[in-house]
Amino acid sequence: MEFLGYITLAIFLGLMLLTLFGYIRTPVQTVLVLSTILCLIVGGLFRFTAYGWNSVALMPNEFLGGIILHPITALLTGLFLAGGLKASGGFEALKAILGYLRRSPIGLVGTLVILINLPVISSLPCGRILAAALLPLLFTFGFEGGLGILTKSQLIVLIGAFTRNSMGSCGPSPIGGVGQIAEGFLGSFFPTASDGILRAPQAFALMLGTAVVALFLKFISQKLYPNDVALREAPAGIATQGGGSEIRIKAPIQGFIALAIFVMSLLIAIFQPLGKMPVQSVLVAGALLMIVVCRIRLNDLLEGIILLPVTAMAAGFLAAGALAATGGFVALASILNSLVSIKALGVAGMLAIFVQFQTILPLSCARILTAALVPTLYLFGPAQFNFLSWSQLAIVMAAYIINATTSCGPSPLGGGGMMGEGTMRAETGFIKGAYTFASMAVMAPMAAIFMKFLNLSVFQPSDPGFARNIYMIAAFALVIAGVNITFILLGSRIFNPNVSRNFFVQLLGFLFSGGIGGGILAFALFELDTTKICQGVLGGIIAAALIGLMAPKTLSKRLTATLSGPTP
Amino acid sequence: MSDTEKLPKIGEKRSDSNQPLILPGIHRYQFFSNLKDRGWTLNLDRVALFGVVSALLATIIKPLLRGNPATIYCYECRACYATQDRCPVGISLQAELVVAGRVLDYDRFIRNGGLKCIRCGNCQSYCVQYLPLPKMFEVMQQETRRAIVAGIVPRESLTRGLEKGLVGKEFIDDVVRSIA
Repeated sequence: MEFLGYITLAIFLGLMLLTLFGYIRTPVQTVLVLSTILCLIVGGLFRFTAYGWNSVALMPNEFLGGIILHPITALLTGLFLAGGLKASGGFEALKAILGYLRRSPIGLVGTLVILINLPVISSLPCGRILAAALLPLLFTFGFEGGLGILTKSQLIVLIGAFTRNSMGSCGPSPIGGVGQIAEGFLGSFFPTASDGILRAPQAFALMLGTAVVALFLKFISQKLYPNDVALREAPAGIATQGGGSEIRIKAPIQGFIALAIFVMSLLIAIFQPLGKMPVQSVLVAGALLMIVVCRIRLNDLLEGIILLPVTAMAAGFLAAGALAATGGFVALASILNSLVSIKALGVAGMLAIFVQFQTILPLSCARILTAALVPTLYLFGPAQFNFLSWSQLAIVMAAYIINATTSCGPSPLGGGGMMGEGTMRAETGFIKGAYTFASMAVMAPMAAIFMKFLNLSVFQPSDPGFARNIYMIAAFALVIAGVNITFILLGSRIFNPNVSRNFFVQLLGFLFSGGIGGGILAFALFELDTTKICQGVLGGIIAAALIGLMAPKTLSKRLTATLSGPTP
Repeated sequence: MSDTEKLPKIGEKRSDSNQPLILPGIHRYQFFSNLKDRGWTLNLDRVALFGVVSALLATIIKPLLRGNPATIYCYECRACYATQDRCPVGISLQAELVVAGRVLDYDRFIRNGGLKCIRCGNCQSYCVQYLPLPKMFEVMQQETRRAIVAGIVPRESLTRGLEKGLVGKEFIDDVVRSIA
């Protein structure tokens, strides 16, 4: 049966890579279902030979076990609510409120910074819920959207950074977020882990990572792919309204009421003041209230539903269920485990690669692989292999989870980042470099450091030196952000019209940052053990090479062809 | 223009003007039918989508019909794993039992100790939603017993369960009879 696992893993990885590189040109759902069916056939043959027909007949049930219903239903109900908000004029109301905020002391920039970080503040179980509601609003800030507050370049940064923040906000969510999967496992040692042991490291890393994404989009992506965003600049003679006169936005009263219902629903879902209840029930109740109070139709709610992520997620879970049932994940775990025996990598190098695994293979929802890989990571701790102590395991979990959570952002297979690319009218893949760089170089090491120096102290109150630890976090945050921002600014200065050279420069940046990230992770785990740090650096470089090579060199030819067939 | 003329040919670049407009400048590509220009064949995509939707419906309807609806609401956050030593029979992966109960995965249920659960309810206090875990496990235990008696559960699962001490005393007779 072990052999079966390697076969099904090869089928899954092969199909995914062929789709990622554009050799298979079908919607991702079809590919994932195909993978499931192939696993069913191969697994069925093996099972029939080994255990007989009864075992084969139960395989579909085992496959269905891979489907995690909560994010799918939460996303659907969230989109319901977003549809209601749109139909009742809630966006206009939000625009009016943002207008007031712009005139307040925090100004336009402060308002936009709050807006960009709104997803991590609200932390819903799927980032697409808020993204679906707010991305159309962000679009209106540009010339084409009507407000004309921001230039094309600024709008790209705003939309890209907001989408990055959204597609990571499902990690720290306390209502069924991705991070809770790992918190559950850490509950084996830390009794209060499910109160949110991973929430703060994720949120902190995500905020810092969002800022780095904004810089990357501004200085790297726009130079690498200058012709791949179809947004238009304001025509000559029409200045943007950043500092000049502005249009007073009027919103209907229903819009304000709908917005209030939307916010109240989110608050009730997150803080549960009325007792424990599923988030889905709260959001549906909010949507029904909108129908009654704001006089919108059921059809308006249904129009808010975005089918692609829902079906892609479901298909991904199904494929993951098929892999789990046929031993594919066991095979993957043993491959990763075998990396430890390579002397140059060791445990530190293997973990530096492991934490980046989901950024290397980004799927439409982080949970598809997380549900399988977190148990594997757990086994690296005292539960089985004893590579790590409980505290070290918590540090690796923090780094792994933020990386996994944010992996749906750069996924071209129906990932959440595609919503941002669609809104900025960019080619698929435009944001990939920025998102993967920030996840790899900033978020993973930062989450590890935050966990080591602050969160473990909080969850182990006997640990002294709390104030010193705060300084350590501040110092590491400055170093991690500083080094990566320097790379971004340096890279942008040496770019020239030669696409291949620019790609090579970008890859070098990935390798340097990946190495530093791996080294920091090793330091967080093993402190000043030079051998381990070197192993971590090497592991980080290997992971960075895989990630950097997957970032597209050019977009127009390759990805347009991928999505739409060759342009005549 | 007829409907057939509006459809892009396979291999042809999709046209923005054919997509629904949701806001000035934003077209909507999300509907599955709009991806028709990308596929090898239209029918393959349709069959795949039918498969995805059927799987989703089956996952929701099955527990409803089998009297185990609470399994639908599980976050699969694994907070229940913190039960640890407070589980008197040493079950460590409670969420696995919930998922097994939702989809009727007998092997998964037995493998993770579902048949030795005594429904004490200690794990329930760790559930972030306070789902009725003992009740959910009891329903699945009865489903599994029925399947064992009907000879549906593979003999290997039962043998392994017995060898590893994963079968509680109330189910031992049925399991032994089924293996024999």
